[in-house]
Amino acid sequence: MTGNPEELKVNRREIYRYLGIRNGEPDQGTKALVESVLKELTDNVQLREFHQMFPLHVPQDEFHTIDLTCFRTHSRSLEKNLRGCSDIIVMAATIGTKVDLLLHRYSLTNASRGVVMQAASAAMIEAWCNLTNDAIRTEVAGRGLYLRPRFSPGYGDFPLDNQRDIFQALQVEKRVGIALTESLLMIPSKSVTAVIGAGRDHLPCVREGCEACSKADCLYRRNPAAV
Amino acid sequence: MDIRRVMKERIILFDGAMGTMLQKAGIGLGELPESWNLLHPDTVIQIHKDYLDAGADIISTNTFGANRLKIRGDGFTLSQIVRGAFDCAHKAVRQAGHGLVALDLGPTGRLLKPMGDLDFEEAVSIYAEVVELGVQNGADAILIETMSDMHELKAAVLAAKEHSSLPVFATCVFDESGKMLTGGTPKAVVAMLEGLHVDALGTNCSLGPRQMLKTARELLRYASVPVICTPNAGLPRSENGETVYDVGPEEFAEDIAALLDTGVSAVGGCCGTTPAHIRAVKKVAQGRKAPSIVQKQETIVTSYAVAQTIGKRPVIVGERINPTGKKKMAQALRDQNYSYILDMALEQQGKGAHILDVNVGVPGTDETSALCETIRQIQSISELPLQIDTSSIQAMEAAMRIYNGKPMVNSVSGKKESMDAVFPLVKKYGGVVVALALDENGIPDTSEGRVRVAGKILEEAKKYGIPEKDIIIDCLCMTVSADPRGALVTLDTLKRVQEELNAKTILGVSNISFGLPQRAFMNQAFFTMALQNGLNAAIINPCSEGMKGAYDAYLVLAAEDENCGAYISTYADFKPALPRGAVWEEDLREILKEGNNPNFDLPAVQAGKKTKKEQGYLNDSGELTGNPDAARLIQCIRKGLREEAQKCAEDLLQSLEALEIINHCMIPALNEVGKDFEHGKVFLPQLLMSAEAARGVFAVLKEKMEASGQGGNRRGSVILATVKGDIHDIGKNIVKVLLESYRFDVIDLGRDVPPETVVETAVRRKVRLVGLSALMTTTVANMEETIRQLHEKAPDVKIMVGGAVMTENYAASIHADRYCKDAMASVQYAEEVLG
Repeated sequence: MTGNPEELKVNRREIYRYLGIRNGEPDQGTKALVESVLKELTDNVQLREFHQMFPLHVPQDEFHTIDLTCFRTHSRSLEKNLRGCSDIIVMAATIGTKVDLLLHRYSLTNASRGVVMQAASAAMIEAWCNLTNDAIRTEVAGRGLYLRPRFSPGYGDFPLDNQRDIFQALQVEKRVGIALTESLLMIPSKSVTAVIGAGRDHLPCVREGCEACSKADCLYRRNPAAV
Repeated sequence: MDIRRVMKERIILFDGAMGTMLQKAGIGLGELPESWNLLHPDTVIQIHKDYLDAGADIISTNTFGANRLKIRGDGFTLSQIVRGAFDCAHKAVRQAGHGLVALDLGPTGRLLKPMGDLDFEEAVSIYAEVVELGVQNGADAILIETMSDMHELKAAVLAAKEHSSLPVFATCVFDESGKMLTGGTPKAVVAMLEGLHVDALGTNCSLGPRQMLKTARELLRYASVPVICTPNAGLPRSENGETVYDVGPEEFAEDIAALLDTGVSAVGGCCGTTPAHIRAVKKVAQGRKAPSIVQKQETIVTSYAVAQTIGKRPVIVGERINPTGKKKMAQALRDQNYSYILDMALEQQGKGAHILDVNVGVPGTDETSALCETIRQIQSISELPLQIDTSSIQAMEAAMRIYNGKPMVNSVSGKKESMDAVFPLVKKYGGVVVALALDENGIPDTSEGRVRVAGKILEEAKKYGIPEKDIIIDCLCMTVSADPRGALVTLDTLKRVQEELNAKTILGVSNISFGLPQRAFMNQAFFTMALQNGLNAAIINPCSEGMKGAYDAYLVLAAEDENCGAYISTYADFKPALPRGAVWEEDLREILKEGNNPNFDLPAVQAGKKTKKEQGYLNDSGELTGNPDAARLIQCIRKGLREEAQKCAEDLLQSLEALEIINHCMIPALNEVGKDFEHGKVFLPQLLMSAEAARGVFAVLKEKMEASGQGGNRRGSVILATVKGDIHDIGKNIVKVLLESYRFDVIDLGRDVPPETVVETAVRRKVRLVGLSALMTTTVANMEETIRQLHEKAPDVKIMVGGAVMTENYAASIHADRYCKDAMASVQYAEEVLG
């Protein structure tokens, strides 16, 4: 529902990675800038999320059909991701509109701070999704279910068009406060929609999304080896 | 039943949730709720009837999502769906034997520009279409609900007002922190909605009745119209895949009673509520008289987030966005160089302005479009309320219409012609209008005369239903050198307007000193005198230390700054601005601490003053040696110290030509940083800091070069744009900073730019290089289209592309001339193409 930004565990390395600092440490100045931006973000984000669980049916047919009850789609990579799952959790999360105002402001007047804020806010929405993901894990554990990695429209061949279905199924605009543009961008820009499979099998699961994606040549891939 | 009248007599009861009841009736996930008006009318009729039987006075039609954005290709037309909704509602009313039917309007589901991609007028037209259908089908009222953005709310209310004469109710969603999704507060919403003359306003959804109490109190504190509360049955919770609401009918009704006790006029239910909830509410509402509604006197202007009271504690209206007497600003407006204007907006905000004046009247430009665009741009980066300042009625109306919030408007006067033109706009769009105390007979030279004119203006406004609180009297400040008693008349008018008319006052303070030397002394003294005489709003330059200082000191002396807290925190470490070119010694030591600068001669710099002007030290091969200022400048650029770098450049201009500074300091410094970036020794934030410092230096040099007729050493223009459909522009802005630091002129077309605009600009301004950015796979198609059109209509133009989804191969496949993997690469390509 809503969250306390103080409780977010924002991964600094992730921020540095987005800033192009792959190996080694950033200098003191950059470090200080990152911390100052995180402070400003913490004072300005509004954490909101909504998720709901639906029965899942994956017939394993030639079309890679996936029936999430609230909508149907076709995706080979999602089908693989959901193997053995009986249910699916559909989620939407955002860190709010104020961040976009700040990003726009800094990109015009203080580009270096803007760049750092871009990276830090990306890491922040990720941290908020992780927190939500943890809460969902606890929720389903009571019913003997285990989670699969979080998977978003646009990952692999999971069609981006399914954004519309997720928005309709969860009433995302109203419940979370995210709007979808004609070109399927989410506003606030630091927002995430995703599906998380749940099944009785306890498989090793990377909680976060990046490794689950099959776009191995992605510039920002966290761990190029894990495909 | 005349709802406006009945609302004054007793509590009005709205219905409860439609969606919840449809779910209970078995509506499928992903099914369009509005389609049930036609597919299962009996169910919809029954739901309406159950609410009427439970005691609802007004039912709202099942049209929450009925608009042309949401109803497309679902087998029914919008018109059929709305007609079906009214058929159901009217049948239920006939069966129940009582009840009114309100046309229900929900959000469009899209966010408006500049935050989102929906145009304001498009939003108005989307709502207008539904409003017209509602009127045709016999609506008794219009209920705009679940709004979470003030701009969209304004569009909906305008549509309702322009296309019907029905009572309009509007309710918004506030979260637990008391804010709307885009930051609006109850105070801001009340100010804007009352300006638009809604019949009642309030809050719905999001919270349960208990959590809503806080929001309701805020609304009631400011509202002079009835307040509506229709909460959810508690906060939603997910249980076994179902969304459930926990508050049962009895508990709900108890909490509603508490809302009624605070002075709410109308209640009902939102998500999770059922006829049982409404029945229970009916019991607690029955027999209660309507609360008496007090007309509030607070003068409030707003943006989409901030609501600023103008009252006892004076406010600063920043005056700098105004081309009068400012060559650079006028040029920026002619060039549509918005970053100059936006910088000025943010600078004033940083210095403590509460409201920003926006005047863009430059002869030979289209003021209406310039004013609207400037307002849009400022509202995309600043949350301060704005003062729309124009003498063009056409520009005023257009700006008041698209403005997000309740603006301040400058100005109306006591002339009949002026009042006849301006008051209808204030009546329609809402606003606090500055009224000049002058009329057909000119400016009265006594305070009696000015008070008389002010009184006349207030009377005339009343005829339009514009309350006194929305008029703020400009007591007029005449230059004291022309009239020795002018200042005294103004000060006396300030006092009397408040005492005799109970109205608020405003002054453009700096007029007083016109024609005198050292105007700052005059302005500060007069400003303090005006504040002491009760000035409510001062149009000043907040970046002037003296004026801001006078203001801050006044607040302390007038007991408006508790424990001198604000004053101390602002001025404890205050350093006055130094004369041009001077640097504080300690700053200099800081700059040089890590620097490698053997030639630097520190004793040459004395505390706060640079006395010794160095000569240029060019050696035989034309390189700089031993010039400390040059070394310092290189160091400042490398370290990204913009202000210091600019000061260095100003110093250097004493001894070197601008071009020499560019060639021997700026370029080597940038190249070094660029090389370090490519080798992974420095990273993007540092690269940008250096680029910003270099850009700042170039601005200083350019001014000098232009003054001496060297044309600014321009290297050619580059168009940059984020393609249509894409609203992420950070990448494009990074490229812009770097290109500008390398002295290219950037024509920044912004984000979400249609292909035609790019082509038209390239052709008209004879540009040879265009940079396009796209962040999403969905918008690359628009990039391809832009390139196609450019190749067709401007075949000589080179195109570079970049963005998160772009690759070398992809760029080639859409016929771009160059793929730029990062911002440095775009600089290199620009140098290749433009030299």
